[in-house]
Amino acid sequence: MGLATATTVKLHAALYTEAAISEAAAVFADFASFAVHRDGTHYVVEVTGIKDDVEGDVVGEFCNFALANTAARTKNNQG
Amino acid sequence: MSQAQIETLDAATSTLILSLHSELYPREVLYAAAYVFLDRAYVLLDQDAARYVVHVRGRQPLDAADLRALAGEFENELLAQALRLQVVKANQRIIEDITTLAIAGAAGGVGAEEFGAIETDAAADGTDAGFQSATDDGMDFLKDPQGIALPWEPGKKDS
Repeated sequence: MGLATATTVKLHAALYTEAAISEAAAVFADFASFAVHRDGTHYVVEVTGIKDDVEGDVVGEFCNFALANTAARTKNNQG
Repeated sequence: MSQAQIETLDAATSTLILSLHSELYPREVLYAAAYVFLDRAYVLLDQDAARYVVHVRGRQPLDAADLRALAGEFENELLAQALRLQVVKANQRIIEDITTLAIAGAAGGVGAEEFGAIETDAAADGTDAGFQSATDDGMDFLKDPQGIALPWEPGKKDS
């Protein structure tokens, strides 16, 4: 098992909630390390130590999860 | 400028970037449309001035034609979700009324308050609440005008 790549994802604060991003980071913590901080209009997510033996795209799945989570939370808050 | 347009399309990375005017589509419509594609693609939303920017990368390799089709599907989904939201908002009161009626029906129906009063009466005079509610419904099984509830056994015939 090796630790391979690192990348940075920028998620717009008007479109993603911090809680949703943090929960996504917790869910995917077994597959990579996530550090989230606010930088102006965006949340910047530093993804490091992405395990190379994981099937699929960890960063892509993380983004999808954060998006779905934000949408669900937004809907619940409105409903 | 069109309502939604393809900014870039790269078949080598199966990536598509769409932009659309943020005033035309509410944010919840964008979420709903993007959600539909999560099982087929990785979706990242962004915002640039008055436009939403949608980054889409296929989970499977996609050629240029596939990506254009995906862009068209996304635009269609935006319209469908916008219409759906409009219908929900227009019928919000009706939806709430029907839901309230359904829940009230499941919880004991229209006579829920009456049932509460009956239970109180029954507790006060020691009668059974079920019996009491049956008599109130005109279903008094103690009245036996046709005599079908009479005991048939010889020993109990006169009891």
